[in-house]
Amino acid sequence: MSTDVADVLIIGAGASGGVAAKHLAEAGFSVVVLEQGDWVNQSDLPGLRPEYEVLGGGPWHPNPNVRQRPEDYPINLDDSAAVIGMFNGVGGSTVLYASCWCRAKPSDFRVRTLDGVADDWPVSYEELEPFYRQVEYDLGISGQAGNPAYPPGYAPPLPSLPINMAGRVMAQGMNKLGWHWWPGYNSIPSQDHLHQKKCERYGVCMYGCPQGAKGSTDVALFPDALAHGARLETRARVARISLDENGLANGAVYFQDGVEKFQPAKLVLVGANGIGTPRLLLMSESAGHPDGLANSSGLVGKRFMTHPFGTSVGLYEEDLEDWVGPTGEAIESMQFYETDPSRGFVRGSKWHIIPSAGRPLGMINRFTMGEGGVADEPFWGEAFTERMKASVGHLIEWMIMPDDLPEEHNRITLDHEKTDSDGLPGAKVAYVTGENTRKLVDWNLQRSLEAHEAAGATKAWITNRNNPSWHNMGTARMGDDPETSVVNRWGQAHDVPNLYVIDGSQFVTATGVNPTATICALAKRTAAYLVENRREQKVSTA
Amino acid sequence: MSITDVTIQPASAPVLSEEQRARLAVLADLLISGGAGLPSASGAEVPTQWIDRVLAVRADLDATVRAVLELEGDPGEVLAGLRADSPEVFGAFAMAVAGAYLINPRVRRGLGYPGPAPMKNPALPDEAEAYLEGGILDVVVARGPIYRPTPQG
Ligand SMILES: Cc1cc2nc3c(=O)[nH]c(=O)nc-3n(C[C@H](O)[C@H](O)[C@H](O)COP(=O)(O)OP(=O)(O)OC[C@H]3O[C@@H](n4cnc5c(N)ncnc54)[C@H](O)[C@@H]3O)c2cc1C
Ligand code: SF4
Repeated sequence: MSTDVADVLIIGAGASGGVAAKHLAEAGFSVVVLEQGDWVNQSDLPGLRPEYEVLGGGPWHPNPNVRQRPEDYPINLDDSAAVIGMFNGVGGSTVLYASCWCRAKPSDFRVRTLDGVADDWPVSYEELEPFYRQVEYDLGISGQAGNPAYPPGYAPPLPSLPINMAGRVMAQGMNKLGWHWWPGYNSIPSQDHLHQKKCERYGVCMYGCPQGAKGSTDVALFPDALAHGARLETRARVARISLDENGLANGAVYFQDGVEKFQPAKLVLVGANGIGTPRLLLMSESAGHPDGLANSSGLVGKRFMTHPFGTSVGLYEEDLEDWVGPTGEAIESMQFYETDPSRGFVRGSKWHIIPSAGRPLGMINRFTMGEGGVADEPFWGEAFTERMKASVGHLIEWMIMPDDLPEEHNRITLDHEKTDSDGLPGAKVAYVTGENTRKLVDWNLQRSLEAHEAAGATKAWITNRNNPSWHNMGTARMGDDPETSVVNRWGQAHDVPNLYVIDGSQFVTATGVNPTATICALAKRTAAYLVENRREQKVSTA
Repeated sequence: MSITDVTIQPASAPVLSEEQRARLAVLADLLISGGAGLPSASGAEVPTQWIDRVLAVRADLDATVRAVLELEGDPGEVLAGLRADSPEVFGAFAMAVAGAYLINPRVRRGLGYPGPAPMKNPALPDEAEAYLEGGILDVVVARGPIYRPTPQG
């Protein structure tokens, strides 16, 4: 083990950790990254094996309780209406993510001002925009410029991927209704780009990309960080962040292959995911921080938000060839994103279509849990082959991503009974889907059935009103007031000036879109701030 | 990669006895009886071949399948009983059978998949534009902005 004091210690080699490690290493900082998981070998990924979907339901499942790898920590869901997931390894959850790349919108940052609920963010869309742009270049975002759902100027660095047959069929339906749609944005390059190869459209993105195309940070960002001298320790699980006598963070205690080690550092950045970060802060309690590190507000772990999204499907006579990838967004719609009080709820939803035929086993739940009487129709026996024939390559699925408002009773705490392979406490999630979120999903699902009808579906139904999103947010929120927030507008802990949170824990509200674009933009902004303010930054010298 | 590059190796070892396979054939055929141009579960070699690949990678399903195969009685009643009283066990058993069925290359072909496993489908140079032909995106743009800007002040 090296005991060299790192300029910056980053905990977690996921989306945010990758963004910060690349930026800070390239700026000349000595960077150490501690990651509890390992590198994922492209050849170990399940996507090109015939039984890939079966593997995706077991050892490659997003829910760590199902995967049960040694690097996973248990998540107690006894009190949670949401199933939780992430991936623990270099690249973090981006190894499995669908790559739907969604900027939040200006109104997301001004929820209190515009809609009278929750809180405004201390940053605006305009402040974040340059950082969105930079990470979009680094992660190879493909998409179409000119979307009227965003302020002018949003032009992804790479041309859009084809929207494929399903996208076109639905787009025509949306046009009949006069409803907004747009070709999807994905962190999947439509041409070779930096470290990323051009997407070959295998359509197995959520099982890890066997092509090295998808913008997971192990592929897109860590090679640059390492080339600029960053040191990445894998199988290194941080047990607690330690403090010097001045109350500044001076490094972290971690376990590597069962051995306890210490990594000293002048600055500590935590990018351990919206569940892993509050878990680590709570595990880092000390005499000066009896309720967990940086928790004088009492908000560490609270205000947990996820996106319990709805799905509806339609059957189509057209041959949609829907196994053609990527399984990111084919098209999206922002028609119902902005608040309209006449709907009986505030905030809104982004809809998107992800190809479904790459996951034929998923048809089981789509039929057997289907609403509108579908679940009561025969599925097994003689019906099985008919149902599969009618749906594989002939089904379009809308995913309805709802904004989710923060509520303090939705929270992450430590579970001292279920421990990880190093004996550290697991995380316990308490989550109840809020009334606004439920109404929002229900209303939008109804509209999505109208979209299926307009697009020519022979039959359409709602399949699920509470899908697990694998989006974990809000558990160390940012804000200007130390009494009502954990970190400030730069992700800096109010209580510990050289401790920064860089992941989705900072989110003030959930936004109605997939979070990773905003997570990466925030991490980039914090990293740029640290470089710019390196002289003023308080650091531990102990 | 092309179709010929996909090699389907047999699972490491036979995992079920002949009796278990025979029982599985009966139960699996009740779940997937065949039709619409596709074979039944046993016609697709689920009990004799493909189930092995599923059980080899899913210890959880292996345990469930073995437990279900132990259940004696009329096969239809066994499945109906599980479905009514132990839906999770029924779901896992059915998932294992369907998972094995959908690995069979003949089944995949019958469902229209281009190959026995996910295949490359590189986009043609003008494919993205082709899907937008007929100005389908122009009408969206023509309707103008639909976002709420950041409030000033
Ligand atoms: C199946 C799936 C599909 C998804 N699809 C999308 C999508 O299409 N679009 C989108 O925007 N988002 C998607 N997401 C979510 C997205 O992946 C996450 O929002 C994003 O990766 C979170 O970034 P992060 O940096 O907060 O954490 P992560 O990327 O999860 O990384 C955190 C890392 O920290 C490590 N870590 C945690 N605790 C410790 C510790 N104590 N010591 C050492 N290391 C630790 C973990 O092992 C992990 O590698 C998806 C997620 C999944 C699982
Ligand atoms: S579709 Fe593209 S991004 Fe997805 S797994 Fe295949 S090559 Fe990778």
